[in-house]
Amino acid sequence: MRLSIDVGGTFTDLVMDRNGVLSMHKATTTYPDPVDGILDAVAVAAGEMGTSVAALLAETDLLFHSTTRAINAVVTGRTARTALLVSKGHPDILVIREGGRTDPFNYQIPYPAPYIPRSLTYEVPGRIWADGREMAPFEEAEVVAHIAAMKAAGVEAVAVSLIWSIVNPAHEQAVARLLDAHMPGVPYTLAHQLNPTVREYRRTSSTAIDASLKPIMQGYMHTLKTRLTDAGLKGRIFAVTSQGGLVDVDDLAERPILALNSGPSMAPVAGRYFAAEEGWSAAIVTDAGGTTYDVSLVKDGVIPWTRDTWLGPIYRGHLTGFPSVDVKSIGAGGGSIARVDASGLLHVGPESAGSTPGPVCYGRGGVKPTVTDAAVVLGYIDPAFFLGGRMELAIDAARAALSRDVAEPLGLSLADAALAVIDLATEQMVNAIEDITVKQGIDPTGTVIVGGGGAAGINTVLIARRLRCDTVIVPDVCAALSAAGAMMSELTRDFALTAFMPTRAFDRARAKAILAELAEKAEAFFAAAGPEAFDKRIDLSIEGRYPSQVWEIEVPIAAADLDAPDVVARLVAAFHARHQDLFSFRDDGDDVEIMTWRAVARCRVAEESRAHLAPRPGHGPGVTRRTMTFRETGPVDAHAHRWDDLAPGEAVAGPAVIESSFTSVVINPGATAVRTPSGQLVISL
Amino acid sequence: MTDLSSRARPDGVRLAITQKRFEGVTRKMANTLLRTARSGVINTARDFSCALVTADCELLTAADSYPIHVIGGADLMARAMLDMHPDLKPGDAFLHNSPYHGNSHAADHTILVPVFDDDGRHRFTVLAKAHQADCGNSLPTTYMGNARDVYEEGALIFPAVKVQTGYKDVQDIINMCLMRIRVPNQWRGDYLATVGAARIGEQEIVRMGRELGWDALSQHALDWFDLCEQQMIDCIRTIKAGRARATSMHDPLPRTPPEGIPATADVTVDPRAAIITVDMTDNIDCLPVGVNLSHACARTAALVGVFNSLPTPMQPNAGSLRRIVVHLRENCVVGIPRHPTSTSVATTNLGDRVTNAVQCALAAIDPTIGMAEGGAAIPPSAGVISGVDPRNGHAFVNEVILAGAGGAGTPTQDGWLSLFSMGNAGMPFYDSVEVDEMLHPMMIATRRLVPDGEGAGMHRGAPGILTEYRPVDCDFELGFCSDGTVNAAKGTRGGHDAKPARQWLVADDGAITPLGTSEQVLVRRDQTVVSYSTAGGGYGDPATRDPERVAGDVREKWITAGRARDVYKVAVTPAGAVDWAETNRLRAAG
Repeated sequence: MRLSIDVGGTFTDLVMDRNGVLSMHKATTTYPDPVDGILDAVAVAAGEMGTSVAALLAETDLLFHSTTRAINAVVTGRTARTALLVSKGHPDILVIREGGRTDPFNYQIPYPAPYIPRSLTYEVPGRIWADGREMAPFEEAEVVAHIAAMKAAGVEAVAVSLIWSIVNPAHEQAVARLLDAHMPGVPYTLAHQLNPTVREYRRTSSTAIDASLKPIMQGYMHTLKTRLTDAGLKGRIFAVTSQGGLVDVDDLAERPILALNSGPSMAPVAGRYFAAEEGWSAAIVTDAGGTTYDVSLVKDGVIPWTRDTWLGPIYRGHLTGFPSVDVKSIGAGGGSIARVDASGLLHVGPESAGSTPGPVCYGRGGVKPTVTDAAVVLGYIDPAFFLGGRMELAIDAARAALSRDVAEPLGLSLADAALAVIDLATEQMVNAIEDITVKQGIDPTGTVIVGGGGAAGINTVLIARRLRCDTVIVPDVCAALSAAGAMMSELTRDFALTAFMPTRAFDRARAKAILAELAEKAEAFFAAAGPEAFDKRIDLSIEGRYPSQVWEIEVPIAAADLDAPDVVARLVAAFHARHQDLFSFRDDGDDVEIMTWRAVARCRVAEESRAHLAPRPGHGPGVTRRTMTFRETGPVDAHAHRWDDLAPGEAVAGPAVIESSFTSVVINPGATAVRTPSGQLVISL
Repeated sequence: MTDLSSRARPDGVRLAITQKRFEGVTRKMANTLLRTARSGVINTARDFSCALVTADCELLTAADSYPIHVIGGADLMARAMLDMHPDLKPGDAFLHNSPYHGNSHAADHTILVPVFDDDGRHRFTVLAKAHQADCGNSLPTTYMGNARDVYEEGALIFPAVKVQTGYKDVQDIINMCLMRIRVPNQWRGDYLATVGAARIGEQEIVRMGRELGWDALSQHALDWFDLCEQQMIDCIRTIKAGRARATSMHDPLPRTPPEGIPATADVTVDPRAAIITVDMTDNIDCLPVGVNLSHACARTAALVGVFNSLPTPMQPNAGSLRRIVVHLRENCVVGIPRHPTSTSVATTNLGDRVTNAVQCALAAIDPTIGMAEGGAAIPPSAGVISGVDPRNGHAFVNEVILAGAGGAGTPTQDGWLSLFSMGNAGMPFYDSVEVDEMLHPMMIATRRLVPDGEGAGMHRGAPGILTEYRPVDCDFELGFCSDGTVNAAKGTRGGHDAKPARQWLVADDGAITPLGTSEQVLVRRDQTVVSYSTAGGGYGDPATRDPERVAGDVREKWITAGRARDVYKVAVTPAGAVDWAETNRLRAAG
């Protein structure tokens, strides 16, 4: 049996796969110790199964865990007191960053503080140059003096990031030896080990973030393991990573940066599975929560990665610089607040009512109308059947707020005001999708959208129409897409080496040696995964560019290419094809500069779960009728179907709504939904 | 200006949605250009802009663009295209870099693509503009500060020249560029990327037109302009009425007045009429140097000064621009130059001085708006280096963006550290040390903030940055045209001036070679370029600065405890806390 637990800001989601039967359970996330909430969720599941927590945990072979703890620590500044060691002459890497600014005429926004303050930044004598040459010598005495100062300053973790350590790590290693000797027990991160990539800001930023998380994440992982074991768990615990894979919890404690965006990175893993069920190898995966709308992609069955992940606003937050699943996140969700400004322009978000107080209709003190309130007013959400009837919605309050803050200032009817809120939210979500698809070279037209998140159903059909997609898939586990994704994911670790090699001066022996070194690391990873690991694979790629281009692109290669007599032609052809694919043009006349060599090792520790919920039909009327309002029809009497009661293959023509305990899916006029035999909805537009 | 009282209430829903889509178009263009361009100036420094104007050449959106690039130039360029090519056709594209026809300066190559509806009617024009690594100047730099005229500058000038017809290149034009521009393949790559971005914009607008209706799109533009004009009216009505004059002085160059080049702005705020007027006509004539402003840059620099100063941030477009009047004079150094005046360096140096003068004048009119002077452009830390890379024998020429000016203090906030220049507004990316060392035979030994250099103030300027770099295993050439060495950024409303810029070469044997403000020099392999870029000026009396902020600056080593005490009148304990008793005493003593 397997459990997947996703600890979110508000709810702790638990998805259980017991003998091939999937079920979903929720408990409130607890503070300060989220393990209480995890055990609460397990207790809810045990209760529904008629068993005990101890018995359920004893039955569990594998437990998958994702948490927002790391990202919350960064966002709220509750990370360890961390020092930064950098090359002499470059103490301001985290202050100067890479420049960039939005809102050019708004000088009311303050310049961001560095991730690690200047007062805890120390310069290490010595300098390596681009070709690995030592241009200035390392000087031990000065570093020893820095360590004394760090101790006096109460430093709890250390980040070490020196210029060009990726081509010659000697100085970083020398620092590590001194830290071991003079500051034993204080965790540190070496940049060349964590994130071997060119560009000192990105590498330093990821190193700083990683080091700052070590004390708290090591503590948390230890507590999690101990308490779950004490409660009866016998199986292994794996942590979900921002790379869309799993690692052993002990590995996560060693590289806690992996935990940062672990939740959102699982959505495309699940999305890929559900899209593939319907025969799609490319998909746009959306996850609409209360405050954010996350978009990720699947392309040729592969989930694209990026190094450009910002924690907080672009250029003002912190760039992780660490390869992770490409997720575009915007502040738009069910809780996004609608308002009309002084000049009469409608806005939706980015301000959000979040989950506390939440939308007006929740009746928990929210007074500003939100997207969810608009959906309630339009009849898309049944006030009596929200969360399966566990929460009665205050529809009159939602109407009053929307009327006061949107309809009256715009001079619209209440229904038109609600439709306007949905339309504007739709446009913002479309923008987010276009941003990430253009970046990854995908034309959304004709692609499938997988709609996840509790708020997905409100406007996914409208979004798909704007993008001219044909098909929308709404999985039955859409409200816990991330927890479901973990059930399908693999143990993953990426290894990289930076070694500049233009194809015009290709060195086959060196290239083979590099790949052999990467393969060796991958094999060690497989060995550590344990004897039960299977389906082991190593995906090789190069990161390269045309000469004088500055940004590299990743190009998959095959190990066999290295032995082929025409290896250079093959690599260059693969690069041209990938460049064409991403940017719609290629430069056939030019050769390619390889910067980085990469191996991603993957293996399974369990068969992929059957990722659909067991339907629970017959809990109430299968179909009801109520008034809903659509752009095309105005107010209309339409059907609301219970998802669990839909027969496989049964078609539902819009206008209609399909409801479950977790979500409400709007089928706009002209669209048709079918519940597939596996349980998900496929909507044709 | 239309009669405002007769206007119908705006459709706040349709306007919001349609405008989001138009902004999506320029953003998509920008993303494409950023990801595909070849030269570091474009894709590392992000020195490019995308904009969209109506058939009547009115600016609709310039999302994410450098202020100096498009606000007051996109319309002029589109107009020049129409005047010179009355027979526009779908599939046409125009290469435009003429500063005498609405472009900023010769190094900014702009591609204009007219967008047609299905009946063949010209509806919009999209523009993608990118600063080239080289534009065929007589010296390997795009900033020819000392050029007497456009002939000495040497760039190829393309006044809205047709470069594509029927979606295919006019090969003659491409061939001319390949014969004249250094590192021609890099230029060709950038050209392809820029045309690609413009074509993406075209496709997107055609798609919108077919979906929403072409007349609806045209009507949207008119309604949007009206709405933005109304926002601007409401904003200006909150500002105090008044007139003020301010002058900002650019450092002297050869053949300029010895004290420098003054840029004087006469600014009037009339809240009743809801108009801000900037008069730049009382300035000297064009000079035989490369820093004269182009028409586009003179107008834009003045507009930037206004937009930077407003109490509520506004979007520049044809609607909001109806409420700002800029007076320029022909043959004026900050006005409308006549051919063959050189405007090689029009986007930064003197343009920033115009912006600074406008900001300071506005600060003098109303204490809640305006800002101090931003640090000056463009130090050797952002110079153009050229030579032959000994690692591969290849020639290189590129602008390295290691550091630029610090931002100015404002009524509400401290200066933005990585401002670079007023006209670029902090939007350029700063180079990675490692990427520059990989691409060029150079080593960057130092890039650090310099404490105590900021213009002190209630809100202080951002500090300057010390950069040191040298050639590795070779010599190379360095070109730059800087400002701020003689005339540091000035503070305003009691704020202090910043420390001036300085630059020199130092040899391994300690021999120092001073550098002027505008040079093209050989840097020997045993020499290091030392460049201290200017900080921003302060806003308001430093003795009124929040003592907690002062203590924070001391803790973070942006200023020393001595400066905190002497200039800010704040005593800070050794642990970095405010010593309130001593601070109160210092501040009471005045």
